Amino acid sequence: MLTINNLSAGYGKVQVLHGISIDVPKGKVVTLIGSNGAGKTTTMRAISGMIAPTGGDISLNGKRIEGKESYDIAKLGLAHSPEGRRVFATMTVTDNLILGAFPRLTGSRPKGDVAADLDRALDLFPRLKERRTQLAGTLSGGEQQMLAMARATMLNPDVVLLDEPSMGLAPILVTEVFKIIERLKSQGVTMLLVEQFAAAALAVADYGYVLENGRISVHGPAAKLRDDPAVKAAYLGGGGH
Amino acid sequence: MKRSHLLLAVIGIAALALFPVGFHNPYYIHLVETIMIYAIVLFGLDIVVGYTGQVSLGHAGLFGVGAYTVGVLVFKLGASIWLTVPAAILITAGFGALLALPALRVSGPYLAMVTLAFGTIIQILINEMSFLTEGPLGIKLEKPELFGHKLDDREFYWVVLVLMVLALIVVHRILRSHLGRAFEALRGSPVASDCMGVSVYRYKVYAFVISAGFAGLAGNLYAYSEQYISPNTYNFELTVLFLLAVIMGGRKSRIGSLVGATIIVLLPKLLDDIEMFRYVSVALAVLVAVSAVVGIRRGKSTAQQMAIPVVGTLLLAGLSFKLQSMTDWRLSIFGVITLFVVYYLQDGIVGFVRNALNLKQTSVADQQAAIGVVKGDAVGTAAGANAAPELLKASGVLMQFGGLKALNNVDLVIKRGSIHGLIGPNGSGKSTMMNVLTGIYQPTAGSVAFAGQSVVGRTSSDIALSGIARTFQNVQLFGEMTALQNVQVGLHHTFASNLLDVALRTPRYKRESAHAASRALGLLQFVGLSDLAFEEARNLPYGKQRLLEIARALALDPQLLLLDEPAAGLTAPDIKELIAIIRKIREHGVTLILIEHHMDVVMNLCDTVSVLDFGQKIAEGKPAQVQADEKVIEAYLGGTVAE
Amino acid sequence: MSCVFPFQSPAKATMQILTQLVFSGIALGMIYAVIAFGYQLTFQTSDTLNFGQGDALMLGALVGLTLVGLGVNYWLMIPIVCVFGAFQGAVVERIGVRPAIKIKSEFGWIMSTIALGIIFKNVAENVWGRDDLKFPSPLPESPLHFLGANVLPMEILVVGGALLMMLAVEVFNRKSIYGKAVVATFNDRDAAKLMGINTGLVITFSYALSSMTAAFAGVLIAPLTLTGATMGAVLGLKAFAVAIIGGLTSGMGIVVGGIILGVAETTTGFYLSTGYKDVPGLVLLLIVLAVRPAGLFGKTAIKKV
Repeated sequence: MLTINNLSAGYGKVQVLHGISIDVPKGKVVTLIGSNGAGKTTTMRAISGMIAPTGGDISLNGKRIEGKESYDIAKLGLAHSPEGRRVFATMTVTDNLILGAFPRLTGSRPKGDVAADLDRALDLFPRLKERRTQLAGTLSGGEQQMLAMARATMLNPDVVLLDEPSMGLAPILVTEVFKIIERLKSQGVTMLLVEQFAAAALAVADYGYVLENGRISVHGPAAKLRDDPAVKAAYLGGGGH
Repeated sequence: MKRSHLLLAVIGIAALALFPVGFHNPYYIHLVETIMIYAIVLFGLDIVVGYTGQVSLGHAGLFGVGAYTVGVLVFKLGASIWLTVPAAILITAGFGALLALPALRVSGPYLAMVTLAFGTIIQILINEMSFLTEGPLGIKLEKPELFGHKLDDREFYWVVLVLMVLALIVVHRILRSHLGRAFEALRGSPVASDCMGVSVYRYKVYAFVISAGFAGLAGNLYAYSEQYISPNTYNFELTVLFLLAVIMGGRKSRIGSLVGATIIVLLPKLLDDIEMFRYVSVALAVLVAVSAVVGIRRGKSTAQQMAIPVVGTLLLAGLSFKLQSMTDWRLSIFGVITLFVVYYLQDGIVGFVRNALNLKQTSVADQQAAIGVVKGDAVGTAAGANAAPELLKASGVLMQFGGLKALNNVDLVIKRGSIHGLIGPNGSGKSTMMNVLTGIYQPTAGSVAFAGQSVVGRTSSDIALSGIARTFQNVQLFGEMTALQNVQVGLHHTFASNLLDVALRTPRYKRESAHAASRALGLLQFVGLSDLAFEEARNLPYGKQRLLEIARALALDPQLLLLDEPAAGLTAPDIKELIAIIRKIREHGVTLILIEHHMDVVMNLCDTVSVLDFGQKIAEGKPAQVQADEKVIEAYLGGTVAE
Repeated sequence: MSCVFPFQSPAKATMQILTQLVFSGIALGMIYAVIAFGYQLTFQTSDTLNFGQGDALMLGALVGLTLVGLGVNYWLMIPIVCVFGAFQGAVVERIGVRPAIKIKSEFGWIMSTIALGIIFKNVAENVWGRDDLKFPSPLPESPLHFLGANVLPMEILVVGGALLMMLAVEVFNRKSIYGKAVVATFNDRDAAKLMGINTGLVITFSYALSSMTAAFAGVLIAPLTLTGATMGAVLGLKAFAVAIIGGLTSGMGIVVGGIILGVAETTTGFYLSTGYKDVPGLVLLLIVLAVRPAGLFGKTAIKKV
């Protein structure tokens, strides 16, 4: 579904990614974990077109998308729930969700039944349903995170990128968010999940990649990675570094 | 100044001086005189536009204030030129301050609009206050008297020439001094500038007031030169013309100002003479077409890029044959030229020529020879070695952005002479804490005391000057300045010299300047960058840029140095070097706070480590202790969360 | 807009004059508000604004004048001028603003919108001449009596038209998906792109809309004042003052700010001298910027380092 091949990217003079390769098969949840500054968010941004990669290629459903504009990539079926949520603060929850379906409402993607999808999204996220006429900027961090994820699903996307959904959230909310990711997984949504919280991510994913200083240091089935000491070393530097 | 540059300057001035001897026609003398007068305005405007990067739409108004100061003083009081010149400079500078003090609290389009409003008000006031200015009737003047002798055309021309050369020298000296560096710094990175003790607001105001003084001098000479002044000269079009001249001639360049002045004086004359204009426009179209072909052949540009200039100049030439007179279309032509210059000639004509001939901006090689050997240790021992053991005490700091508590009741005590680490996952509040400590954010609640004095409520530059220096997570260097100049900005606080010292090159200024240069070199040596001293900061490799930031911060002679992720993006050998430098810094008695994610750096260096999570401190202690702490591991890895 | 009240007590006359000035001030203020609204539109979506906004107004008025002169009915002329305004705005964005956004140069779009404004003004001077022209009023010129003061029907049209225009844009923003896309762009440009919204087109659209509102304001105010190539410049500047006073992000703010400025001007013009009538607006601008740069209703932004 989504294939990343030897991707390099950075900001101006700083090269953050040095040739990484990731494969996200259809219907699977793949996670990319690593400590801060390793390059996880940079990877997401390069995939969704927020920054242009300096090398390598990215394919969605066999189509090359590296270097394209974000809005074109979205039209091709890639939804990105960005780091820091980035909801539209002065618009209501409902409007935020409707905007997630923008390409469907303007003819760039098959329309389907937007109203039904809206209801389904609100059912999946009961907290949002209660607050559907509230302005997104007044929601709590956890609710905004749910809104960002729900908004991404409204595209009826082929792949969803989830960028650090747990960031800045209290532990209880993190549990709730990951429960929702589980539910999405059971519905067959293909996801690439980037997370700082390795344990939570590896619990929900099928496959995992560990990013260290812009390179993949180890990868494998999530269950195996959970017990791998290399993962702990990548984060806390204690032992084996 | 380089030998060859000096020689060229002398030849140029001599040519200008001999001009009226060769050409007796008063029309031509007046023309070159006007060019010189406009050049004086542009020298000043370049400081604001070229160096501090602000757009001012009010300089025609300031020019008018200068002219009317003379007009009123001569008309009402019969004042002599000895009075009117300083009066024009000081009064216009005063108006400049009156405008700058409120206006420069904003920047960009706001500033442009405000200066435009100012210029419009000045015009209205001159027009309406006829009891003072004779309003729309204008004021008639005669050439001034000097030593009892009434100056004729040629003699006044020479007076203007002398004053222009003096203005040129003064501007040159200002821009080469620590003041010039301050102006460039505040454009390069306003945040870094404030944190290095150069208050952005204050120096923007200085730049503006200085440029107003120059506009005043020019206005004064203009009044005598034209022998008649009236309100509608100092209008929006003149101000746009001045701006066009600066960008077309070339920013940050005195020659650029002279070239620009020449163009805006001669261009209207050219447009008035339709025959001449036809020749020129055809020649221009041919020139552009030829260089387009050459450029495409050489692969320097594509057909698409060259299309607009080629078609544009051809249209212009064709138009000139169709129309009988270009005077009515003068402003449109200025508008089109402005558009062209803004997108295709961003460095101005001077920049274009420099690029074409591959010349370097200013030769810095001779600067190297002039800098003396460093005496003693550039870093110096930090102050207050025997003072209280607690250097910084933050209590109950709360930083709230809307509903988000970035810092939630954090206590932090930093012991003098220690290296204190601050770690935590993304979004835990570490950088927020840094920003609170350096005055970039004002905490919602809580207190922060540094060496006994409260930090809360003070400006960043004030805090920097009292002994707290920092580096930035996203490198904030003054990119277009050299490494040495970047460090010299950090040394700004060592200069007591004022504007007069700089203009007159007093012994005090020379001493301070030499000392700063050698100390800056010493600081670069300290971090191992001395052979890159004359490289532009933006061209340095990333790892070296981070070291440069540290050298610049040390220039403040701080007691406390805050390093924000100094190892981010560094390779392993760079990190080793960094650790060694940080140790050396500590040996000089400087206390350090280190935000880092590289655990090996933290473990290696820190005496104490504080861990933040969700804006709260969750652990504190020796590095090994913290590393094994359950809560810390959970915060980073989310160990028990995934149930 | 002069008034003669013979055989009345001085106090009553003063009241009437004052009420009259207030009404004229409100009408004038609404014009400022509509132009300021245009500044807000582009600033919110692109962090840029059109220094030639006043000239867009001027072109709208002059094109309208020509159409009316050719026999086109005033009410029919309005939509034509609106389309012209939209086109002119798109041109300004294409030539002046888009290249500057691409090279991230603030100086670039400031200078190029100024340059385009100068070009438009010069073209107008050459096509329509340098003198001020009279715009025939579509409504009867005899004043109505309201609260004891004279109000021109045209003034009522101005207030009504301005409010209607701003309301229409608000409705568009709230109801249509394209309007929502514009608001999304204003909220968070990057996130909007992730939704599949072509933010470049949104910016072009907001410039088109901005010039359209200015052109519309032009044909509204033309019958009340003299129409000519110079009418735009000072209007644009004062409308910017209103945009600042109200806060560049608050719609309510500019209506309030516009009314404050309009009334201040009409009263200054009457009690001091007409030459000075432009001064209060400009001085107010300087004061507001000095004291509260975010405007009376705006919010200050938080720096991120």
